Amino acid sequence: MMKRIQSALFALWISVSCVLTIAAGLFIILYIFIKGFKTITWEFLLSNPGGIPIGVEGGIFPAIIGSLLLMLISIVFAFILALATAVYIVFYCESQRLENTAHVIIQCMAGIPSIVLGLFGYTVMVVSLNMGRSLLSAGLTLGIMIFPFIQVRIEKAFREFSKSVLNASYSLGVSKVYTIFRLILPQCRRDIVSSITLAGGFAMGAAAPIMLTGAVIFAPAPKALSSPVMALPLHLYILSNESISMEKSYATALVLIAILITINIFAITLTLWRKEVKR
Amino acid sequence: MRIGFDKAFIILIKVLTLFSLLLLSFIIIFVFKEGYIFFKEVPILKFITGTTWNPLSDPRNLSIFNIILATLYVSLVAIIIALPIGVGSALLLSGYVKERPRLIIRGLIDIIAGIPSVIFGFIGLMVLVKFFEKFFDFPSGESVLAGGILLAVMVLPYIISTCDETMDKLYRKHSPAAQAMGISKIYILRTIVLPQSLRGIVAATVLAFGRAMGETMAVMMVIGNAPIMPRLLGKCQTIPSLIALEMGMAEVGSLHYHALFAAGFVLMVILLMINVALYYVKRSLNR
Amino acid sequence: MEKGSQEMNVLELKDFNAYYGNKKIINNLNMAIKRNKITAIIGPSGCGKSTLLLSLNRMLEEVEGRTEGQILFNGKNIYSISKEEIRRRIGIVFQKPTPFPFSIYKNLTYAPIYYGVRDKKRLDEIAKGKLIISGLYEEVKDEIHASALKLSGGQQQRLCIARALTVEPEVLLLDEPCSALDIKNTANIEKMLLNLAKDYTIVIVTHNLSQAKRISDYTAFMLDGELIEYDETHRIFSFPKDKRTKEYIEGIYG
Repeated sequence: MMKRIQSALFALWISVSCVLTIAAGLFIILYIFIKGFKTITWEFLLSNPGGIPIGVEGGIFPAIIGSLLLMLISIVFAFILALATAVYIVFYCESQRLENTAHVIIQCMAGIPSIVLGLFGYTVMVVSLNMGRSLLSAGLTLGIMIFPFIQVRIEKAFREFSKSVLNASYSLGVSKVYTIFRLILPQCRRDIVSSITLAGGFAMGAAAPIMLTGAVIFAPAPKALSSPVMALPLHLYILSNESISMEKSYATALVLIAILITINIFAITLTLWRKEVKR
Repeated sequence: MRIGFDKAFIILIKVLTLFSLLLLSFIIIFVFKEGYIFFKEVPILKFITGTTWNPLSDPRNLSIFNIILATLYVSLVAIIIALPIGVGSALLLSGYVKERPRLIIRGLIDIIAGIPSVIFGFIGLMVLVKFFEKFFDFPSGESVLAGGILLAVMVLPYIISTCDETMDKLYRKHSPAAQAMGISKIYILRTIVLPQSLRGIVAATVLAFGRAMGETMAVMMVIGNAPIMPRLLGKCQTIPSLIALEMGMAEVGSLHYHALFAAGFVLMVILLMINVALYYVKRSLNR
Repeated sequence: MEKGSQEMNVLELKDFNAYYGNKKIINNLNMAIKRNKITAIIGPSGCGKSTLLLSLNRMLEEVEGRTEGQILFNGKNIYSISKEEIRRRIGIVFQKPTPFPFSIYKNLTYAPIYYGVRDKKRLDEIAKGKLIISGLYEEVKDEIHASALKLSGGQQQRLCIARALTVEPEVLLLDEPCSALDIKNTANIEKMLLNLAKDYTIVIVTHNLSQAKRISDYTAFMLDGELIEYDETHRIFSFPKDKRTKEYIEGIYG
C-alpha cells in the first residue's frame, strides 16, 4: 500500500515537472511572439530609431546590422585562434605539461563571467589602447568570450577521430599537414561549423561584454571597424529599462529571439544529422 | 613546394597558439592585478565582511558582504526551484521517451538554453515583477524571489541535460532486466535510476549554481539593484549586476574602479571553489 | 622513381631492440629480409611480431615506441632517411581495415595527389591499376565514387592494400591482414600477395600457420621478443631446428 502511494506521488512529481518545464519554454517563446508580432513591419526592421527619447519611434535597423557584424567579428577572431590552438594541442604538442597548462588556462577563461570580460575590454581596449567604443573593441571582447567554447569543441572533434585511420594516413608517407587538411578537417567540418554557429549565437545575445566596449544607445549602422554600434540585446535593455517603448521592446525581443532560434536550429540539426550518419 | 607550405603552416599554428595562450593568461592576470590594487588600500577581510556600498562616499568604505550574500542567495533560490523540476523532467525523459524524439527534445532544450540573458530579464521585468506587484500588492516586484525564479528557468535546461545523460544510461542498463521481471517503469525510475544518479544530480547542481552566480543581465533587470541585506521579498544586488551598473560611472584608475575589479575577483574565487568542488564530484563519479 | 639496389637483402636488422616506455618488447634481434620474397613472421600473442613490423617503416614512433640498434633499408640506416620517405617505400596494411571516409576513388588518389600527381587521367590510371591488382576492380568498377565505408570487410582490406600500393613501395608489410576475414576473402588476399611477390617484397605477420606455409618463402619464428628460428619455410615446417619452434608448430596443429 505504502509502495503504491510512493509510486503515485513519484509519478505525479515527474509529470508535473515535465509540464512545468514545457510550459515555461512555450510561455517564453509564445509570449514574446504574441506581444511582439504586431509591431514588426518592414519599416520597423529597416529604418533607424528616432523620436525623443530615441527609440520611441522608428525602427531597429542599425541594431540588427550591428548585432550581425559583432557576431561575425567575434566568430572570425575566435575561430582562427581556437582552430590553431586545437590543432597545435592535438597534433603538435610534445609536452604533456604544456598541454595541461593550456587546458587549465582555457578552463579558467571559460569561468570568467562575461561582465568581467567587459570590464577588461573597456579598460584595455577602449581606454588604454585608445580604440574607443567601437565595433572592433566589442567584437574582440565577444570573441574572447566565445573562444573557450569553440576551442573545446574543436579539440574534442579532433580527438574523436579514429587513431587507426590517422595512422593509415601517416603510413602512406604523407605529412601531418596534408593529413590535417585533406583527412581530418573535412571530416570534422560539421562539428566545427555547428560549434561556431552556436558560439555566434551566444555572442549575439550577450549584452554585458558589449555594454561599455562598443554598444551605444544610438548610432547609425557602422561604416568602419572603429565606429560605435547598436546591438539588439542592449537596445532591448535600454528600451525596457528606461520604459521608452514597451511595444518596440517586445518587437526587438522577438527579432532577437527569431534570429537566435534560427541559428540554433541550424546548428543543432547539423549535430543531429551527424549522429544519424554515424550510425 | 609542398614542404614550404607545410613549414609555413606549422609556424603559423604555433604563433597563433602562443598568441592565444598569452592573451588569455594576460586577461587572467590583468583582472587579478586590478583587483589586487584595491586590496592594497583596503584589507580584503574588511571588503568582504563590511556591509556598506556607497560609491559616492569614501571608496575605502566599499564593502560587499551584502552583495556576496545576495549573489549566493539568489542562486540558491534558483537551485531550490529548478532542481526538483529539472530532476523530475529528466527522469521522465529518460524513462518514457524513445530515442528519436529524445534527440529532438534535447535539441529543443538546447535551444531554450541559447536564449540570451537579456530576454529573460525582459520577460522577468514584464511578467514576474508586474505579477508580484499586482497580485501580491508588493510596493515593488523587484526582489530576490523574482531573480531566483528567473534564474531557475535559465538553469533548468542545464540541469535537465546533465541529469538526462546519466539517467538515460542507467535506465537503458537496468530496464530490460527489470521489465522482464514485470516491474513497472515508475518503480524502476524511483528505486534504481533516481538513487543511482545521485552523483550526476550533484554535478548538475554544482554546474547550475556556478552558472547562476555568473549571470548578469537577467538578474540585473529584476532584483532592484539595492546593495542592502537581502531578504526574500526585498531588493538586493548581486556582484555581476553591481559591476554592470557601475562600470560606466567609475573613472578608470580610481579606487571605485578597482573596487569593482575586486568584487569581480571575489566572484571568480567563489566560482573557482565551486569548479574545484565539481572536479572532485566528477572524479568520484568516475570511480 | 629510384629502384632499390640489387642487393639480396632489402631490409636488415642488427642488434635490434624495441621498447614501449620501459618495457622491452624485442630483444637483440638480427634478421635479413630477402628482396621479392614473401617472409612470414609467426609466433604466439605478445611475442613482438607486430612491434617488429611497425619498426620496419618507422610507424612505431606514432604509437610511442622506442628503438635501439640498426635497421638498414637497401644498406642505409632508416633513421638517416626522412620518415615520410621510408613510409612511402615501405608500405603497411593493418589488421583492422582502415579505409578513409571518402569514396573508393578518393582513397586511392589521396597519396598520389600528395606526391604531386595532378593529371586526372594519370590519377584514373593509378586508381584503376591498383584496383585490378587487388582484384577489386570487377567488383566495384561501377561504383568507384561510392563511399569506401559501404564495402564489406574483405573488400575494405583489399582496398587498403591497393591504397598502400599507390605510392609504389618496394616493400609491403602486412599485420595479420586476414584475421578478421572469412575464408573466401582470405583466399583472395593470399592469391593477390602471391601475385605481388614478383614485384614487391612482402613481410606478413600471421598467427595462421597454414597461411604461412601456403604463401611464404621464408618464415621467422619469434618468442618473447626474440628471434628463435629463421629459415626457408619448407625447412621450418618440416625440420625445425629449435625445440621451441617444433613445439609451437605442433601445438597449433595438435
